[in-house]
Amino acid sequence: MPFAAVNAPVDGRLRGIALRAAIGCDILLNHQNMDFEGSKSSRFDALLGRRCWLGWCLAVGFAAPLASAAERAAPRVLATTTVVADLLRQVAGDRVAIDTLMGPGIDPHGYKATPRDADRLARADLVVASGLHLEGKLGELLAKLGRRARVVAVAESLPQDRLLEVAPGLHDPHVWFDARLWSLATPAAAEALAALDPSGADTYRERARDYASRLERLDDALGARVATIPAERRVLVTAHDAFRYFGRAYGIEVVGVQGTSTESEAGIADINRLVDLIVARKLPAVFVETSVSDRNVQALQEGARARGQPVALGGRLYSDSLGGPGSGAETLEAVLAANVETIVAGLAGER
Amino acid sequence: MTAFAGIPHNTLVVAVAVAAVGFAAGVVGSFGVLRRRALAGDAAAHATLAGVVIAFLVTGSRDLPTLLLGGFVAAIASLGCLVLIRRATRTRDDAATAIVLSVSFGLGIVLLSGLSARGVPGAGGLEHFLMGHTAALTAADARTLGVASLAAVLVVWLGLKEATLVAFDPVFAASAGWPVAAIDYALITLVAGMVVVGLPAAGAVLVTALVVIPPVAARQWTDRVPSMLLVSGMIGLAAALGGVAASALVPRLATGPMIVLVAAALFAVSFFFAPRRGWLARRRSALAAAGK
Amino acid sequence: MAATDAAPAVEFHDVTVAYGRRPVLWNIDLAVSAPGLFGIIGPNGAGKSTLVKAALGLVPLAGGSVRLFGRPLAEVRHRIGYVPQRETVDWDFPVNVMDVVLMGTYGRLGWFRRPGARERAAAREALDRVGLADVASRQIGRLSGGQQQRVFLARALAQEADLYFLDEPLAGVDARSQERIFRVLDDLRRSGRLVIVVHHDLRSAADWFDGVALVDMRLVAAGPVGEVLTPENLRRTYAGPLDVLDELGRAVARGGRTA
Repeated sequence: MPFAAVNAPVDGRLRGIALRAAIGCDILLNHQNMDFEGSKSSRFDALLGRRCWLGWCLAVGFAAPLASAAERAAPRVLATTTVVADLLRQVAGDRVAIDTLMGPGIDPHGYKATPRDADRLARADLVVASGLHLEGKLGELLAKLGRRARVVAVAESLPQDRLLEVAPGLHDPHVWFDARLWSLATPAAAEALAALDPSGADTYRERARDYASRLERLDDALGARVATIPAERRVLVTAHDAFRYFGRAYGIEVVGVQGTSTESEAGIADINRLVDLIVARKLPAVFVETSVSDRNVQALQEGARARGQPVALGGRLYSDSLGGPGSGAETLEAVLAANVETIVAGLAGER
Repeated sequence: MTAFAGIPHNTLVVAVAVAAVGFAAGVVGSFGVLRRRALAGDAAAHATLAGVVIAFLVTGSRDLPTLLLGGFVAAIASLGCLVLIRRATRTRDDAATAIVLSVSFGLGIVLLSGLSARGVPGAGGLEHFLMGHTAALTAADARTLGVASLAAVLVVWLGLKEATLVAFDPVFAASAGWPVAAIDYALITLVAGMVVVGLPAAGAVLVTALVVIPPVAARQWTDRVPSMLLVSGMIGLAAALGGVAASALVPRLATGPMIVLVAAALFAVSFFFAPRRGWLARRRSALAAAGK
Repeated sequence: MAATDAAPAVEFHDVTVAYGRRPVLWNIDLAVSAPGLFGIIGPNGAGKSTLVKAALGLVPLAGGSVRLFGRPLAEVRHRIGYVPQRETVDWDFPVNVMDVVLMGTYGRLGWFRRPGARERAAAREALDRVGLADVASRQIGRLSGGQQQRVFLARALAQEADLYFLDEPLAGVDARSQERIFRVLDDLRRSGRLVIVVHHDLRSAADWFDGVALVDMRLVAAGPVGEVLTPENLRRTYAGPLDVLDELGRAVARGGRTA
């Protein structure tokens, strides 16, 4: 479900309203010239009409410039996830304040919007989502919004041939775990911000290019770190299939208990398959995620323990969400680095 | 417990847990069905979600016994509301049940989505109580569920004659001095308890199926209460094991819903093929009678 | 045997029963002694069943009291037997004839004890008396109306009581079963017990009962059947066509059969 990036000039909107009001008033005025019974009413209409006309002239005259000034001062940008918010902040710098709809630790696959959320989305000047059905339950709301306001899905700007398919026509949305791939989304963020605030367009594009090269350098570093894990232990077992891009980019096998979306329920066959894998490959650790329940991974541990091969809990990975303030993992770069460190420590460490 | 007869540990653990729950639900549910109070069990089941979430909010703990206790308190409270509504207003049974069911379930959903919307750490596991987390049951869970199921069956076995008497002819029972209201409440409390125990296996939405389908299927096979309880328990057990087998053999097949589907299939078989009460048998005897 | 109690077997003092604000029984004063076969007669909705339920504590009393063998109900429950109306039960319930009759012995067993050999023997004896010994293992839904009524009676017999209350035991019952039932009740009377029967049919009342009470929310009259079933009393109880009642009344007064 691609979101439409609709161009609706924001400061022009208020001018439009004023214009319509003036036209309405004109109609009221023309009343006066029609034949009505009761001389009193026509005199009243005349009085009202003149005052009305004057009032609206003033309104149009003053309000429109005021409104434009107000809009330019504080454009409202709303990102759906913390990952998208981070991207926008890297590109926007101090010029624009970015709000996030789903805070740290929230699972975007199953998140259902409240009326308050719908309100926030409607009042934003620019809504930026990740896309590719990551925000599964918000899809319809965002599509409706896309018809009236500006909605951009950054992941959908990526070249399709670089995306991993889950089912015909359906792609895995966890693209930010491949730093190099995510860097290809920076132009889309820059363009969205530029369209909102043309005066800063150059700044945004430059910052986007800087950020992209930082991500590329990070990509190399991450690959090197992962390579330090002995080849036979390079298997990442997690709660859900969020790390396939990570696996492809940095050369590590990834297996999730639940599927690509946390909305699916694991069956016994899936649990057994993973226990078999853990035992066969003698994996030292499995991993849980910050925004997903531990239950399935705990079942894996018990299964492995029963087969005489206890597997440790390697640590908690950030999957669909960045860390909160004070966690040390508030940006994507920090999260990628932290995740890799956790994984390396869990898998490469001595048993 | 390592693998037994080549069956992986996880499958065994889940199988034992759901077999116990399935059997007990069949036995206990029989009296809910006989007493025509199956719908009250459904109301209790839907209320458990709110109880589980509130238990988590109050204690901050996520271990199964605590959460199930919260669910049980909510189930009893909802049944109490049901009685109050029936007495205080003049609402009929089905309407009162519908009110209690939807209000308590709505409360549960609101609390649950409120928690996950705020990203409260640890709340992620609670939504499993909606549809069950059968495949991820641990040995500790199995112990809790096994003990609770055994206790429920023992209580029913102990009070079998009192329960049958009150379910069959409460007027006569009252005339003989039995405390019919108290025994009735005890039966419903037992059904509510069973519903709570079944939560991890099937989830709040489907657990009613475990206490209703096996007894109804069992009724087709027998005309006596003790054997109906046994057959119902066995059907519940078979459904549970069938669901586990299906989920263990086919990837990406959720266990809880499979158990309910197997139970429904067993009911269909009972409906058609049971001797004497089954549809085929009745048609055959009707045709034979017409032929005479 | 309880024929020599000093107090009457059943005593209603000023009994009033109301459902909500609607009175069903009003100021009933009635005493009946054992032994005997006593009928409670009246039009539909007159409160006949309610009178029996009041005696058994199944409905709350808005006024007055009931004494059984001179004592409150709670003390003498073990001496009471009850046959409720057939409609109170779901006949599709998975129990057979023996199961139901055994339920009569539960009162003696108390909590959690299972019926044993002694209880089974008592149940079989009761089944013999009502002539249902050969259908002991049949599910109750597969019995005729008369057989179902006899099962209820057997259950009450298994209670081994001194005072029996029966609520419309002959409604919808075939003639053969009626005869059978009457013989059992007669035996009970002869063994010194009191049997109180809510009866639906005016015509057979005179043949069956020693005494009757005519009830229509109030007690119209009570006493030996010949004295009570007068045209005057019948007119006061029933609102039906007077000539039929007249004839009935005169037939009763003559002491003849009212076919």
